[in-house]
Amino acid sequence: MSWRWFHQWGSPRWFYERAHRGQLVCGWLALILLMVGSIWGLGFAPVDYQQGNSYRIIYLHVPVAFLAQSMYAAMAVCAVVLFVWKMKLADVAMQAIAMVGLAFTVLSLVSGAVWGKPTWGTYWVWDARLTSMVILGFLYLGLIGLRAAIQDPDQAGKACGILVLVGVVNLPIIKYSVEWWNTLHQPASLKLTEKPTMPASMWVPLLVNLLGYYIAAAYLVLGSMRAIVIGRERRASWVKELAGRA
Amino acid sequence: MLEFQFESLMAFLEMAPHGAYVWPVYVLGLLVLGGLSWVNQRQHRQAIRLVKRQFEREEKHES
Repeated sequence: MSWRWFHQWGSPRWFYERAHRGQLVCGWLALILLMVGSIWGLGFAPVDYQQGNSYRIIYLHVPVAFLAQSMYAAMAVCAVVLFVWKMKLADVAMQAIAMVGLAFTVLSLVSGAVWGKPTWGTYWVWDARLTSMVILGFLYLGLIGLRAAIQDPDQAGKACGILVLVGVVNLPIIKYSVEWWNTLHQPASLKLTEKPTMPASMWVPLLVNLLGYYIAAAYLVLGSMRAIVIGRERRASWVKELAGRA
Repeated sequence: MLEFQFESLMAFLEMAPHGAYVWPVYVLGLLVLGGLSWVNQRQHRQAIRLVKRQFEREEKHES
């Protein structure tokens, strides 16, 4: 089996040239999926018999909450790749994901709090799910702060990699918090192993938005990675050539 | 067959009685996605500009 495809990821130039096309495809695909999923969920999905129209927040809240956790898991994979194969691009990805992950975590907390008011009668309770999500937000913030505090990018990458791997312990806590402790938060709306408890008219638009948000996250991470690559490789001749053409 | 769940556009916007909760969340979502995309493009342009300036400085220094 040829490992050429894997080694190509070691070249920032190779990545930069191809990422632009990927970013364009992801951008347009995400835009279409998010428009279809959101209009479907907001206007065409049936009203929930218990929560009324407030449940429509699910079409944003669930995808961004899934993403907040998935992006942390993706950073952990990048940290392993960085430590095992010393691939510079894995560190670039870690840096790019941290900012997008933080934004999705905040969005998930705010949308959940707003949904909580009509459903639970309060914006906030310090229960296990909400608290572990706040910790996830602080982990993202800590990573951004740690990177900003260390001048040498290689040292910063190593320090962030260690923090990411330590923080991974929070992911199962978030996932199982609704089962391990008494909480106001409902169990997972979508599970890979079980049939959804909602009718298809409700979960299909959720699935469309879920896909849309994941692709939007890919678009954002690719865009951020391209900017970081240019900054880090500013002494490389191909970057100078590129800047000369711009 | 998909059916619009509201009697009018006004009813859709009011989303009675939860429009005040639902719409701000989606507006915030749009702002976050749009904002991140804008920041990315700005950072990219800035990075290119910095390299260009550095390149011009080096050329001037050499000559």
